[in-house]
Amino acid sequence: MILTLLSHQWKSFWRGRNAARSLATQIFIGLLIAYLMASILFAGLATGHILNKAFPGQDTVRIFCGFVLYYFFIDILLRFAMQELPVLTIVPYLGQNIRRRQMVSFLNIRSLFHFLNLMPLLFFAPFACTDMAVHSGKLAAAAFITAIVFIMLFNNFLILYVKRRTIINVWWLVGFAVVMIGIMTLDFFHIISLSGWSSKLFVALLAKPILAIVPVVLGLAAWFNNYRFLLTNLYLDEGARSEKEKSSREYSWLQQLGLTGELIALEIKLMLRNKRPKYIVRLSALFMFYGFVFYNKHYLSDQSMYIILFFPALFLTGIFIMNYGQFLFAWHSSFFDGLMASNISIPAFIRSKFMLYNAISTTIFIITSFYGLITWKILVIQAAGFLYNIGVNSVISIYLATFSYKAIDLSRSATFNYQGIGTVQWVYALIIILVPYAIYYPLAKFVSPWAACAVIGGLGLISLLMQSYWVEVLTREFQRRKYLMLAGFREK
Amino acid sequence: MITITDITKSYNGNTVVNIPQLEIATGEIVGLVGNNGAGKTTLFRLMLDLIRADKGQILSKEKNVAASEDWKNYTAAYLDEGFLINYLTPEEYFYFVGKLHQLSRVDVDEFLQRFEAFFDGSILNSGKYIRDLSKGNQFKVGIAACLLQKPELLILDEPFANLDPSSQMRLIKMLKELPAQSRMTVFISSHDLNHVTEVCHRILLMEKGRIIKDIDTTADTLQELEMYFEV
Repeated sequence: MILTLLSHQWKSFWRGRNAARSLATQIFIGLLIAYLMASILFAGLATGHILNKAFPGQDTVRIFCGFVLYYFFIDILLRFAMQELPVLTIVPYLGQNIRRRQMVSFLNIRSLFHFLNLMPLLFFAPFACTDMAVHSGKLAAAAFITAIVFIMLFNNFLILYVKRRTIINVWWLVGFAVVMIGIMTLDFFHIISLSGWSSKLFVALLAKPILAIVPVVLGLAAWFNNYRFLLTNLYLDEGARSEKEKSSREYSWLQQLGLTGELIALEIKLMLRNKRPKYIVRLSALFMFYGFVFYNKHYLSDQSMYIILFFPALFLTGIFIMNYGQFLFAWHSSFFDGLMASNISIPAFIRSKFMLYNAISTTIFIITSFYGLITWKILVIQAAGFLYNIGVNSVISIYLATFSYKAIDLSRSATFNYQGIGTVQWVYALIIILVPYAIYYPLAKFVSPWAACAVIGGLGLISLLMQSYWVEVLTREFQRRKYLMLAGFREK
Repeated sequence: MITITDITKSYNGNTVVNIPQLEIATGEIVGLVGNNGAGKTTLFRLMLDLIRADKGQILSKEKNVAASEDWKNYTAAYLDEGFLINYLTPEEYFYFVGKLHQLSRVDVDEFLQRFEAFFDGSILNSGKYIRDLSKGNQFKVGIAACLLQKPELLILDEPFANLDPSSQMRLIKMLKELPAQSRMTVFISSHDLNHVTEVCHRILLMEKGRIIKDIDTTADTLQELEMYFEV
């Protein structure tokens, strides 16, 4: 029975909407995953060598053992962020003649299919099989691998349990955060030493392989605990988050802008109240710190580096257009029918998109202007990038968005979510970054960076002044592909 | 109000809608009946310019709906959840729709008072986004938002399907009263032959994209329709 359920999961993975993406995307993701796994495996294989080089003459196995607890500590944090609770997958089965025990076992086994459960094996097993086996014997290495597998299981089920608890009672989340931050702080100030404990524990394990029984017991206990909890809590309504009261909000400052303001308010609510766009907004905010990577003395002292500095300037000021803009209309896919049948004219709709870009990009520009405190030159480059972004890239963004016919489910989380991504999105990223760079680069290289800034900024400004003309053009383009968008968005 | 000439729409060689000629006069209440796949929703979408016709045109007040946007000013429609902005609270949605028709918040509040019984206390101030409402309640939000616009043309797709019995009765009452007060033209589809014959002056029977019967409602209409659907 559990096998049947797992085979359904397999089908749902391949037949799900996420799988129905273009071949190019599939190949890309496939390569990405293969690359990641190969990197980890390679890191695992090279560890012995690297440690020998870094700590010559020292006991590499002991040092290696010092890493293990760190790894599993980070593993816990990663799991908390990434591992999803496969609860909803059982909804269709609850009414069928399947025993609860089987369903719970299925949920537990299902949770094991996660790349975080593959990583430790890829990383630790090579070292264990080579250096460790030579150093402490095959039996010890086998005990080590056993311990790794069961600590991994322990983490897996512990986190599932904690996450389920936090859904029901938010204090679990607070407790979890306190414990984690506590450990980090204590370790940071050397009050406790994770690496010290780690090497002590695992060196002891290698000396006495029978000690592997401890992690085995821990892993099984975590599994059993989760099993027992699920068995008594397999009710739908309890799994659902205790809903917070939702209240209406009005942005009075936007209402003065009339219909445009109303549409922007709609867009802001879309960003704040839905999982995936919210993630994009947070990401955009985070990227504002990107400047610290590039704007340092090393780069700024060298005149020729201003050729490269245009990249972060363009990126910083256009981050919102780049990220949010790739699904500009697709964000509305769940109610696009209603939007198009309602009393909103297409030009007004397009105009509101321009306003949104202008408003948010200006805000970002003002905030990132603080980088100007480092040197005024940054300000000049960023101003050029900003003008180009709201002048030219905004038009390109809206134009390309009319070619995006794939629906987006707002409520799905954004990590590794390739729903709605097609050829257009790849083209989009390229055009928005490469075209201005192609203009900037030769000018900056052969004339001067300032001339290049002037040209880029000038182009942006001219295009910005033409915005009402662009609205006409884009309205025509929008009308031309409106039915394709409508049909695409309806296919959920 | 509506003039449909020679309209056809087909998907992969299957003709879904094929209507040579259809007129709907102002103030008429027209019901559209037919089995699943007869093309009812497709016809509505064509009227709302949500899909492109292969051939022919639909005129609303003598203007082609695919060429001019004027019809949006006086047309309100609710076909499915795709017409609701699901991350707004019902109030926010009503204010938004009101704004699109130059209604102030006070106007909207005043209008919504009439819906108190229809909403049955589970929509306004419910502390939920529309996406968290039940399907029936979502439908009520959609219908109320339509009526809020004081449309001259109202299009509803299976309005009775998701409503509880009391709400169905209230809706029938509203649909009967409102057009009489304001000369509203109403076009609804339904699987419920009882309700549709009770509300509508005129019934169109659709089969495989064609309108095979166009009857003015009389006492015998219900029986006639039941005869057709008899298996």
